[in-house]
Amino acid sequence: MNRRDLLIGAGLAALVASGGAALAQQPVVKIGYQLPLTGNTAQYGQDFKNAAEIALAKFNASGKPFKVEIVFEDSRSDAKEGIAIARKFVDDKQIVGVLGDFTSGVSMASAQVYKSAGMPQLSQTASHPDYAKISEWQFRNITTQAQEGPYNADWMADQGFKKIAVIAEQTDWGQTVVSNFADEVKTKGGEVVFSEFFNRGLADFRPIITKIAREKPDAIYTGFFYEDGAQFLKQMKQLGLTIPVYSTSAAYNQKLIELAGADAEGMHLTATFLPSNPAPQVQEFVAAWKEKTGQAEPGQFPAQAYDAVNIMLAALEKAWPEPTREKVRDALAATKDFPGVTGDTTFDADREPAKKLTKAVVKGGQFVAVSN
Amino acid sequence: MAGTNPAMTLESVGLENHWHESRGLFGPNLPVPMDYYLQQLAIGLSLGMVYALMAIGFTLIFGVLNVVNFAHGEVYTVGAFAGLVVISAFAPPLIVVLLVVVAVGALAGVGLERIAFKPFRRFSDEASLKSRAMREATLMSSLAVSIVVREAVEIGFGSQFQTVPLDRLLNSPISLGPVTIVSGDVIILVVAALMLGGLQYVLKRTNVGLSIRAVSSNPLGAKYVGINTDRTIIWTFAVGSMMGAAAGILVGLYYGAIFPSMGFIPGIKAFVAMVMGGLSSIPGAVICALILGFSESIATIFVPSVWADMVAYGFLIVTLIFFPRGIFGGARDRV
Repeated sequence: MNRRDLLIGAGLAALVASGGAALAQQPVVKIGYQLPLTGNTAQYGQDFKNAAEIALAKFNASGKPFKVEIVFEDSRSDAKEGIAIARKFVDDKQIVGVLGDFTSGVSMASAQVYKSAGMPQLSQTASHPDYAKISEWQFRNITTQAQEGPYNADWMADQGFKKIAVIAEQTDWGQTVVSNFADEVKTKGGEVVFSEFFNRGLADFRPIITKIAREKPDAIYTGFFYEDGAQFLKQMKQLGLTIPVYSTSAAYNQKLIELAGADAEGMHLTATFLPSNPAPQVQEFVAAWKEKTGQAEPGQFPAQAYDAVNIMLAALEKAWPEPTREKVRDALAATKDFPGVTGDTTFDADREPAKKLTKAVVKGGQFVAVSN
Repeated sequence: MAGTNPAMTLESVGLENHWHESRGLFGPNLPVPMDYYLQQLAIGLSLGMVYALMAIGFTLIFGVLNVVNFAHGEVYTVGAFAGLVVISAFAPPLIVVLLVVVAVGALAGVGLERIAFKPFRRFSDEASLKSRAMREATLMSSLAVSIVVREAVEIGFGSQFQTVPLDRLLNSPISLGPVTIVSGDVIILVVAALMLGGLQYVLKRTNVGLSIRAVSSNPLGAKYVGINTDRTIIWTFAVGSMMGAAAGILVGLYYGAIFPSMGFIPGIKAFVAMVMGGLSSIPGAVICALILGFSESIATIFVPSVWADMVAYGFLIVTLIFFPRGIFGGARDRV
């Protein structure tokens, strides 16, 4: 080894050492994530957390000038808890953006805190029409029933269904499922012959199903999540009813098929995410999800959470250096054609995402995209 | 319900192809209002049986201790999860699953008694035995155990519905003329009848039963005549919890819904049935559970189903105001 090599070696070593030091001192930007990690809706929150960790690990490993840390807080899907968490996040001066919550109710309760404190909030699932209207600080990464309801009504009208029964869960969200859908059915000359709400987690749908049967509808439109959906479909088959069932993207989850088995066959719904989509970012997410959770393919909700986290991370990057809550908000508002796993996302002037909906049907134990 | 108009026009459109032809209720001859009401009654009966199954063990324990065991709903949950674990691991026939679940239930009951109830009986002087405060402290301790157990199950299994092997569900339809019931209805009816009959036999004809009744009607007196009250109470918990656990797995397989908070709603319904039945009368609780099931199902004929839960609370309030000793309280023996 001659002197020149030695010099280069020493230089390289110094470079590695200084690089390492820079890595160790890399600045950290914090964001908050409020979501249900315990309680009746914990399964959704756990999915969001897994999706967020996948997105975060990828971001932090990609050699950005700063690291991001996500502070997860458990809201139990309780509005009171949500507000307490919102106050905590607002008080932490290091937190420049917030993700969550899961339900529209809790998201909207917390939004009041974020509105008065000026904190950008991006919910992956809050689909109540009034959520994004609360203030310029609220964003969401989910299609609302204002888009899905008419879309489904048109789909069903195209199939020639005139008399339609509607049931939905008794929540803010469930109300929007019914109202948005029913308005479009009337415009298309159809008729809603039966409409009723049920309490989420209802064990026995048979009294309602019997009532629906009496009205002899051509088809049933439903606003439920996969657990209630599985119960409904099973009990419908028990009673021997074979009316076509349509639903929203909220029911889109592989667990629905797992719980209801063959009784789920033929159910129609809309979705913005299909794990079979060959797009590289979708396949990358599906693979990472399977590896991290050991579960089957992710449903639509974790996919939305994954995109929401990535949109937030991209906004942080845009706001860098010295990200503030204002700069992150402005960066979020400027989100345009963000290539996510649930399609390209652009926020319009009302901070609403426009997404492309896919029609799907359960066939052979799988959600399959269909053209009509 | 803004923007919806449930117009009730029944024009006869030729859409019979959407209906299952073989069953009376949904056959092409609709509308037949009688069939509709019969079907709702059948559903009410099966709801009532489900509540009764839970109410039997609940009432037995109340009868002896004179205090509500808030953890009974969790015994029900534990029974369902134990059954599910056995089914996934060994796939034995239903009767074996039931036996294992009953054994787990007995253990859970004994453990529950040891943790939440025994410590409040450690003083055996007369003042402590008569003290309401000592007795009612177990309201809190049993509630605490129920929260810990529920959260533990949630940490272990997650809060979502567990996947139950579909062929093990007790929901194959059975057609009875115009009415459709499922196989689980028959099984639950038989099990509830066996439980009720067996329990009456045990209480009236065996030594354990006699001492349970003695402790139930006068714990201090029972102690004075030499009955081992501690052991009797443990027996009561074992028997009551066996029934709770069996109810859990049966109802879990009946609906295909096994999840950590599954015991909450049936617990409330069983509580209402118990209060209506006079707090300590088991046959009274069973009859009231059936009344409750029927009423809920009939109520859904007239009002939206979101209001059906109000039926139970309405009954509770009416009972407390007009029949403070329960509809079947007053004249009857305890237990």
